[in-house]
Amino acid sequence: MSEMDFETRLRSIAGEMKYPRTPDIARFVTARLQTSTRPRFNSKALAWSLTIILVLCSSLMLIPPVRAAILEFIQIGVVRIFPQPVEPTVEPIRTATPESIAPMTATSSSQASNLIPILDQMAGETTIADAQDQVKFPVLLPDYPTDLGEPDYVYVQDMDANVLILVWLDPQHPDKVLMSLHFIPNDSWAVKKVEPTVIQETSVDGQRAIWTTGPYPLILFSNDIQYTRLITGHVLIWADGDVTYRLETDMSLDETVKIAESLQSIP
Amino acid sequence: MDEPTLIRHVANGDAAAWEPLVLAHQEAVFRLSYLLLGDPDDAEDVAQETFLRAWKHLKRFDPTRPLRPWLLSIASNLASNRRRSAGRYFAALTRAFRDEPASVTIEEKSSQHMQANDLWKAVRTLNVADQKIVYLRYFLDLSVAETAEVLQVADGTVKSRLSRALEKLRKVIQQDFPVLFEGREA
Repeated sequence: MSEMDFETRLRSIAGEMKYPRTPDIARFVTARLQTSTRPRFNSKALAWSLTIILVLCSSLMLIPPVRAAILEFIQIGVVRIFPQPVEPTVEPIRTATPESIAPMTATSSSQASNLIPILDQMAGETTIADAQDQVKFPVLLPDYPTDLGEPDYVYVQDMDANVLILVWLDPQHPDKVLMSLHFIPNDSWAVKKVEPTVIQETSVDGQRAIWTTGPYPLILFSNDIQYTRLITGHVLIWADGDVTYRLETDMSLDETVKIAESLQSIP
Repeated sequence: MDEPTLIRHVANGDAAAWEPLVLAHQEAVFRLSYLLLGDPDDAEDVAQETFLRAWKHLKRFDPTRPLRPWLLSIASNLASNRRRSAGRYFAALTRAFRDEPASVTIEEKSSQHMQANDLWKAVRTLNVADQKIVYLRYFLDLSVAETAEVLQVADGTVKSRLSRALEKLRKVIQQDFPVLFEGREA
């Protein structure tokens, strides 16, 4: 059967597909627009976490020294990092909040061995070549370490703008993630990190960069996106032009910077 | 009132003008969501969210362009995000293979309808990117240009991806659903 005949046959069979009756979406949408100008959160978990954060921030803002500390965040590209407040007066509140959010958003080391099923279900799995068609920025791959090779998983996810995520598995432990690299365009939503354990400034190709070590909660501000951290390790964040890069590894700072500085356009 | 005029009205704050546009496109949006998710409740949620999100961002949309591909693009992305939830994904998958759609009666279980269901099962063995392109071209009957607009790629990319997807689908059909081309050389 020729490709054209095959297509004709497919179209003919697909045309007989029985769908459930289309619900009255127009009525629901119209009612929602009449009562609110903003869509609700689909994710109850995310809405709950944002509520907790809002309450926390409101509480902390009442304490003058803490207010000063919270306003002193570091911004690299679209990523904001909030240093850990040191005032003893906030201890009871601080321990009660970000840690309670952590299990929802962060991947603990005990979960690391179960990552492969998560990777298989993450949205937007594609190939490097197709990813380049879908994003507005050049796709870069590290040529250090020399034996790294191409990523094992490639995802393009719609987060207002298309975000690219590359994942390499550990060849010695194929059930573990060795490294993940995120390309976040500036017209995507903002990412906040709350209270990383260590913050160190460094540079990547002369650009200011931030090195953080976890584990720590990662909270994303997006309509209904829930992000899963892939590695309980370190994150190097830097920006170049309109793209912010996040490189998650469990390697040393020097090694991670080497990898970041080795990024090259794909041929 | 034609579509571009309605879009301009909505963009200028006339929420009532959105309803006829939703009515015109809700079936296609719901059906694509259903094909991708396999569950009518999830598909309804995604379709509703699609129109709310499109309404929110309509000012950025060029009203001279057709609305349907843009809506399908939003629905496709939302459906992909929803699939990431493992529990929801497997539950939907299980239901899809366990249950017939509620609206299918015994009389309707004709050979053609069963073939369509088998074809759907075959398509669902492909990766999500391949599924999307097959659904858009053959189940929703979009043109190459419309499909390219939904997937935000060039026409040529649609053709090459489609060719690869069809190659994989043909193998799946030959191996697991030969009845689809019974009496024909698949």
